[in-house]
Amino acid sequence: MALIMAAALALTLVLGGCGGRSKPPEGGSGDQVSIVFWSAPNPTQEQFWKTMADKYMEEHPNVKIEVAPIPESPSSEAGILTALSSGQKLTASENIFVGFGAQLVESEALVPLDTLPGYQDLIKARKAEELVEGWKFADGHQYILPIYSNAMLCAWRMDILKELGFNEPPRTYSEILAVGEKLKAQYPDKYLWARKELIDPQKWWERWFDFFTFYYAASDGTPFLTENKVTADKDAAVAVLQFIKDLNDKGLLLTAEATDPFETGLTIWAVVGPWQLPYWAEKFPELKIGENVVFTPPPVPDNFPEGKTPKTFADAKGIVIYKHATEAEQQAVWDFIKWVLSNPENDATWLEMTGLTPARGDLTANEAFKQYFEQNAGLKVYADAVPTAVPPIMRKEFTDLQNNMTEVMMIPLINGTVTPEQAFEAVKTSWENMLK
Amino acid sequence: MRKYYEVRGWLLTAPYIIYTLVFFVIPLFWAIALAGTDWNLVSPKRNFVGLDNFITAFQSPKVAAAFVNAFKFMVLFVPLTLAISLAIALLLNSLTVWGNIFTVAFFLPYLASGVAMALVTKGLIAVNSPANKLIVSLLGFQPPWLSHPWWATMVITALIAWKFSGYYALVFLAALRSIPREMYEAAALDGAGWWTQFRKITVPMLYPAFYTVIVLAVGLMFGIFTEPYVLTGGGPNLATHTWQLEIYSQAFASFKAGYASAVAILNALATFAGVAVVRWIITRWGRAYGYEE
Repeated sequence: MALIMAAALALTLVLGGCGGRSKPPEGGSGDQVSIVFWSAPNPTQEQFWKTMADKYMEEHPNVKIEVAPIPESPSSEAGILTALSSGQKLTASENIFVGFGAQLVESEALVPLDTLPGYQDLIKARKAEELVEGWKFADGHQYILPIYSNAMLCAWRMDILKELGFNEPPRTYSEILAVGEKLKAQYPDKYLWARKELIDPQKWWERWFDFFTFYYAASDGTPFLTENKVTADKDAAVAVLQFIKDLNDKGLLLTAEATDPFETGLTIWAVVGPWQLPYWAEKFPELKIGENVVFTPPPVPDNFPEGKTPKTFADAKGIVIYKHATEAEQQAVWDFIKWVLSNPENDATWLEMTGLTPARGDLTANEAFKQYFEQNAGLKVYADAVPTAVPPIMRKEFTDLQNNMTEVMMIPLINGTVTPEQAFEAVKTSWENMLK
Repeated sequence: MRKYYEVRGWLLTAPYIIYTLVFFVIPLFWAIALAGTDWNLVSPKRNFVGLDNFITAFQSPKVAAAFVNAFKFMVLFVPLTLAISLAIALLLNSLTVWGNIFTVAFFLPYLASGVAMALVTKGLIAVNSPANKLIVSLLGFQPPWLSHPWWATMVITALIAWKFSGYYALVFLAALRSIPREMYEAAALDGAGWWTQFRKITVPMLYPAFYTVIVLAVGLMFGIFTEPYVLTGGGPNLATHTWQLEIYSQAFASFKAGYASAVAILNALATFAGVAVVRWIITRWGRAYGYEE
């Protein structure tokens, strides 16, 4: 049995490995170029790119674009790696975050986009000069073109807060704990926050949506890691951990399984991205943004200046072009990407089709998006938060680092076996040892 | 003529030989080769690291947890599944009507998707589910289903036992139906009651079925993946971490193909060793009934 499983793993690897990288895929013949673009494995994003490809091919009959979703076998990252290692035809793909990008860059798999003609013009057209700074790699090149940036915000059940006597959602840790105390007094079976992912050792990405979201707010965006050193604002990190510990100790944090806890009113607070809004609209139409649900920036320590907008984590993804494509294919796909992303109307279409906030610096100022945001107030708050959102750590060891954070920091903290300070020191020591 | 038969024999077995080579032997040797590298599936750099991956695996608390947990699950799962599947088989064997319908019904969980079953379980034990609320009202407390190491282990064991009991019951049922009725009739004439007949006739005659089921169940314990992946992620505190979870997360989340191959090879060796020990024990048991290897 185990031998079969071992062989199954090896088979996956052999299928990936035996193709080798010696023979790059053929480019087009003559003026005809055929390119393959992999979209995120999300029907709305796939539909957007198919729509764009169809329009582009109408105007450019010499280019054939095949759009397909990234195969999740078993994850989209693994799907891309398998395709690259087997020499499968793949010219470009979206849905790449900087951590995975760093791994691809180290594997010499990506084209530096800033070396392609018209790159700077495209960035200027998108008013994204500042935004792309956070996407620059150690060698000074830009390998990923950010396409969307989802700021993480907090949602509050305003209807329950009002029942508890609060007319405004809380801002600081103390205010949140005060709400929690009143909630428990009035509704002993309810919780403030449901977060079972805090103790799930496999879900490394969930640290983006709890610790890093809170940490960037508390530290005003101080980098947690710089090169191989943990350069985090220790006071801010410890304050975040103390806050999580307080929630747990006071019985306000639910780490057990619960189905739609925020939506059903079992909890009154959640950290959510804009992808949650279509789900609410479909499954919980009674949740009205701005009425019984309101959004706020992440919570901050009590001494955080009032009136200052806290930073947050950005779940941001971008487009890459693969080096193993021929030069003709690389140029053709770059022309296609430029054609799509230099027109704000296409970004407006993206916003309408996917609900994800485009990575542009002029989201709230550009007329192309005005009407959409007027009609979708829920997404406007996410657009406002884009400039304050910090992208993920750019390290190829992203999985190991964030899994380690769960193991040495979060689980012991929730179990009560370490203090917040010890939890922070444990992750600091552990990360620096791993990156030596 | 002999040569003709030889060629025909090779031709007829060729599909299986090719299948085994392509899907088993070549990948196995490839995995052994990979285990000596630090390759990430795509990088042009494939450094030979010797036995480093194996040394890292031996020092890994996760691999140690996977090793221990396989035996922990075995101790819980094997007796539980044997008892349930034998009970189902005895029940089905005693039915005079609708026996086949119930046989199929008990077999159905084996055909059901493990992911779907784990998701259903997740829904049932959610704190705000009606099923959980009913259990809480009966027990008087909220069981820490997946947040306590012991409870999480039991939930996963119970789910796997539920899935496989119907399948193993079929093996027992086939064996039960092959026991000659005359043996029971003769024993009854000698004054043997149900319990004596069960101990002195049924159990010894079912020994080959016990052997098959125990070896299958033990092997299964080294290959658990879906249930902990969906329900616990291997937690809490690595209490439900398994070999397959470790191989999966290293290969497809951390992209350490070399290290994952090393862990897969250790997993295969542990499985061989585990099954060999259990076979040795049950062979000794079989000798008491006169069975020889």
